[in-house]
Amino acid sequence: MILKSQKQEFKPIWNVRITLVSVLVLVLVVILAISTGPVALSTQEIFRTLFGLEGGLEGREKTLLLEIRLPRVALGALVGAALATSGAVYQTVFRNPLADPYLLGTAAGAGLGATIAITTTNNSFNPALPIFAFIGGASAVAATFLVSGRYFSNPGVLLLSGIAVGAFASAIQIYLQQRNTEVLRPVYSWILGQLTVSDWNNVMWAALYIFLSLIILFRISKLLDGLMLSDEEAFSLGVSPNKIRIIAVIAATLATATAVSVSGLIGFVGIIVPHIIKGITRRVTNRALPTIAITGAAFLVLADLGARTLIAPAELPIGVITAFIGAPFFLFVLRTTKGGLK
Amino acid sequence: MIKIENLSVKYQDVTVLNNVNLEIEKNSWTSIVGPNGAGKTTLLKTMLGMTSYSGSVTFEGKEVYKDLTRNVAFVPQRPLIPIGMTVIEYLTLGRAKVDGWGKELKRGRIYIQETLENMQLVGLQDRFATQLSGGEIQRVLLARAIVQEPKVILLDEPTSALDLHYQIRTLDQIEHLRNQGVTVISTMHDITLSNMYSEKIAIMKQGRVLLDGSSDEVVSSPQLREAFDNSISVHTLESGKKVIVASRDESGRRDSNPRP
Repeated sequence: MILKSQKQEFKPIWNVRITLVSVLVLVLVVILAISTGPVALSTQEIFRTLFGLEGGLEGREKTLLLEIRLPRVALGALVGAALATSGAVYQTVFRNPLADPYLLGTAAGAGLGATIAITTTNNSFNPALPIFAFIGGASAVAATFLVSGRYFSNPGVLLLSGIAVGAFASAIQIYLQQRNTEVLRPVYSWILGQLTVSDWNNVMWAALYIFLSLIILFRISKLLDGLMLSDEEAFSLGVSPNKIRIIAVIAATLATATAVSVSGLIGFVGIIVPHIIKGITRRVTNRALPTIAITGAAFLVLADLGARTLIAPAELPIGVITAFIGAPFFLFVLRTTKGGLK
Repeated sequence: MIKIENLSVKYQDVTVLNNVNLEIEKNSWTSIVGPNGAGKTTLLKTMLGMTSYSGSVTFEGKEVYKDLTRNVAFVPQRPLIPIGMTVIEYLTLGRAKVDGWGKELKRGRIYIQETLENMQLVGLQDRFATQLSGGEIQRVLLARAIVQEPKVILLDEPTSALDLHYQIRTLDQIEHLRNQGVTVISTMHDITLSNMYSEKIAIMKQGRVLLDGSSDEVVSSPQLREAFDNSISVHTLESGKKVIVASRDESGRRDSNPRP
């Protein structure tokens, strides 16, 4: 009896069952997204096609599944996982509940880097894009961090610095766009955020960079919990705060930059998803990162489903959907987070 | 156990610690006392191993700089408590050094449970740490240090935010730790309390150790008043214990002629 009562007092820091639930949610959302569209595909046919069984889809429907819907859903999942995880990591590293790849200026910096790549190569999408986007994103994070100086953990200062850096990067980006009118259209549609151009080639190299970043972040997720304390406390607990911080920011920025270079600017995922997971589970540990990644994937696949079906046959930019949900959610977090903009 | 020789620390061009020499015995309590800006916290952080320095700071013969392997607990003056973290999660973080990050071993859980009971924290374990009172937070901070099973505990002003009742209670708990074999080093403002609890006092001013020795020697030293610009006076109680208070003469100026 005593043992039982002692056991009840210890809620584990993380429960793997929560992660399993998120996997289930992702699977359901993916099935829904693949089967829904102007041409409805049945779940049974999808499975038969994927596993090469008899009675699968043929002809145009098979092409639709394998070459259009599946890569689009895969890219959406990758981008969602990258943005949600990066958001959660930035929030820990900067000790700031409102830190997000977009609000920190990372995305605008990555956008500038990608625009430079597009305008100099005259090619909308190529594997060098994430590298350029990474350099742009990393420079923006560094600039935001330097501008906010020692007040980086103050939500207000960090946000204002991020907004200023982001605005500056966007200004240069627009200047470049205007100077290179031949790429104006692809750059503009890319800025609004879209997954329409996904093909397996894009998916594969985005997966390479994003998986690399996520593996690094998952591996250090336990140590990231030490960064929630002061640097002295983390150090006394055997964590080298600066080392972990640098690894985390590099990996999160690479993930964000890759996401931006394949899908354009899709905001708020990095705020919505980590806060939903932490709110539902009532746990603040970074061991939630894999679950946040999986839920981020499900969230963006669902948002993309909305983008392509809400005003069908036309499409909404996915960034519009995430902003529509994210902006009110951001205000909600701002009002409910203790410390807010103090 | 801890040996500090010719220690100097500079932040940019400002010398924060200047040629500090100090020896700290195993299983003792040393108080570092001095006015604001004397370099007490920097000395503590240097002993933790976080600050680069010239000279030598050794722990059991090994230089402390960037050494993450030592089991030294740190109790900050102003802790950074993550929003939404419960007391039990906060204590589990403290255990990470012993059990490994991300591992919650049975032994660790039992140790945390015992510490909760010893520190009268039972019932608070599922509360958010940010919602606790100053006295409760101080107990949680000490508990987090205790679950580390440290050899050394560094405390930065452990009583500064507490009323007198909690000051005594906190110091009693630290004394209990020392009695169990932990070496305690604390920065303190209050020399009287330091004298009551610690074996050794080091008086710091402007980055230097002006005076160090056994607590009784230090509070009896004529140099003590100089260290505080003659703004204190030392009184002896009937029990023989010394009490140090801030003093002013009748015109309101600092007392230049103390009544012993």
